[in-house]
Amino acid sequence: MNENNPVPPVIPPRDAAQQLADSLAAAPPLPGAVRKLGDDPSERVPITNAFAAIEALLRHPRRLLFQLRQPGAGGLIGQMFFVALLCAAVYGVVAGTFSGGMQLWAAPVKIACGLFISAAICLPSLYIFTCLSGAQTRLAEVCGLLAGLLMLMTILLVGFAPVAWIFSQSTESIAWMGFLHLSFWFVATIFGARFMKHGFTHAEAKSQAGVNVWLCIFLLVALQMTTALRPIIGKADTFFPTEKKFFIGHWLETLDNATKPARENRPD
Amino acid sequence: MTPAATRPPTELSTLLRGEVMTMSGWSAAWNTRRFFTHVAIIVFGAGFYGAAMGWWRAPQQALFVGIKFPLIILMTTFGNALINGMLAPLLGLNIPFRQSFSAVVMSFAVTSAILGAFAPLTAFMVWCAPPMSGQVTDFNYAGFKLVHVAIIMFAGVTGNTRLLQLLVHLADDRAAAVRVLVAWLGGNLFLGSQLSWILRPFIGSPQLPVEFLRENALHGNFYEDVLHSLMQIF
Repeated sequence: MNENNPVPPVIPPRDAAQQLADSLAAAPPLPGAVRKLGDDPSERVPITNAFAAIEALLRHPRRLLFQLRQPGAGGLIGQMFFVALLCAAVYGVVAGTFSGGMQLWAAPVKIACGLFISAAICLPSLYIFTCLSGAQTRLAEVCGLLAGLLMLMTILLVGFAPVAWIFSQSTESIAWMGFLHLSFWFVATIFGARFMKHGFTHAEAKSQAGVNVWLCIFLLVALQMTTALRPIIGKADTFFPTEKKFFIGHWLETLDNATKPARENRPD
Repeated sequence: MTPAATRPPTELSTLLRGEVMTMSGWSAAWNTRRFFTHVAIIVFGAGFYGAAMGWWRAPQQALFVGIKFPLIILMTTFGNALINGMLAPLLGLNIPFRQSFSAVVMSFAVTSAILGAFAPLTAFMVWCAPPMSGQVTDFNYAGFKLVHVAIIMFAGVTGNTRLLQLLVHLADDRAAAVRVLVAWLGGNLFLGSQLSWILRPFIGSPQLPVEFLRENALHGNFYEDVLHSLMQIF
C-alpha cells in the first residue's frame, strides 16, 4: 500500500449487505414485473375525503389500491359507494329527461338501486372467484375493488351525461336512446373493469380468468336488471313491469316498435 | 399500521385458494371446531343454493330443497366415510381414516361455498322468470335445468380439483392421488345419485304437488330408472 495506490477501505459485512439492499431497491423493476403497492411515498398518503378518492381513482389508481388494502379502509369504501350512488342518480336524472314526468325521479331511483342490487347479487361470487384465483385478499378488500369499479363506472357516466342529455332532447327513438345509454354504460364498465383487474394483479392472483368470468356475469346481471326494472327511459302506467321478460326478448320487442313515433309508444 | 395482507386469512379463503400446506395440517390434526365450521359451510352454502333452486316452484319448495340439498352432501360424506377411508391406503395413499374423512369434508365445503355464492344469482334468475305454474314453457324449464347443471358442475369440479391438489400433496405420488380421487368420486357419485333420487323433487314440476318427498321415494332406484329409460329407447 502507498499513497499513489491506496487500498480501498474494507466495508463491514453488515454495511455491505445494507448497500446491496439499497441498490436493489433503487434499481428499476425488471420488464413485466409488477411494482409493489406503496413503493412510491405518494401512494402512502391517506385519502381523507371523496374528492381525493375521485382524483386518486382517475389520476393515481395505485394510491387508491394501496389505501384500500390498509386496515380501517371501511370509511373510504363507504365514501366510494356513496359517490357511485350519487353519480348513478345524476345520470338517471339525465336519462329520465327523455320522457320527463315520473321518469325524472323513477329513472334515477331505478338506475342507482338497480346498479347496487346487481353489485350486491354478484359480490359473493366475486369473493369466490377472487379466492379461487389465489389472490391474497379479504372480503373488505374485494368490496373496495367493487366500490372502485362502481365509482369509476358512474363517474364516467356523469362525464357522458351532457352528451346523453343532448340526444335525449333531440331524438324521439326509445331504441336509439336505449342503445346510446347502454353504449355509454359499456364503455364506462370497461374502464371500471380495468381498475378492478389492476387491483387483482397486485393481490397476487395467479390468473385473471376468474375475474373475467365474473365480469361477464356482472354484465349479464346488470343487463337483466335494466329489463326487470323497466321502463327506465320510456313511459308506463306502473313503476315496475307487469310482465317478466328476458332482456334479449325485451330488446327485440323494442326494436320491433322502433318504427312507431318514440313518444307515442305503447306502455310496457 | 398493519398491512392488510399480513393478517391471517379466513378458513374459507384458505380452502378456496387451495393452500395445500395448511389444509394438509388441518386434515392431519383433528379439530372439532374446524370440523363443525366446515359442516356449517356445507349446510349454509348448499342450503341457500337449494332454496334458490326450489323457489321457482314455490316458497315451500325453497324451504324443502334448502334442507335436502345439504342433507344429500352430508349423507353422502358420512355414508361413504368408511369405504373411502379403507380405499385410500389400499390404493397407495397411506393416510388414517380421520384424515381421509377431513379431506372429503373440506372438498365438499369448497363446493358448497361456491354454490352458496351463486345462490343470489340463481335467486335473481328465478325472480326474473315467469312463474312456473303459469306461463312456463319447455324452453324456460330446460334453460333453468341447464343453468343449475352448469353451476353445480363448476362447483363440483372446483371442489374436486382442490381435493386432488391436497391428495397429491399427501401422497407425494400423483398416480396414487388420482386413483384415490377416482375411487372416492365413483363411490360418492354412486351413493349421491341414489340419495338424490330418494330425496327428489328439487326444481319441482307444476303438474305435481309441492312435497318434501314423493310418495314413491323409497320404491325403485335411480339406476333401475336409467335402465328402464334405456330399454325404452332401444
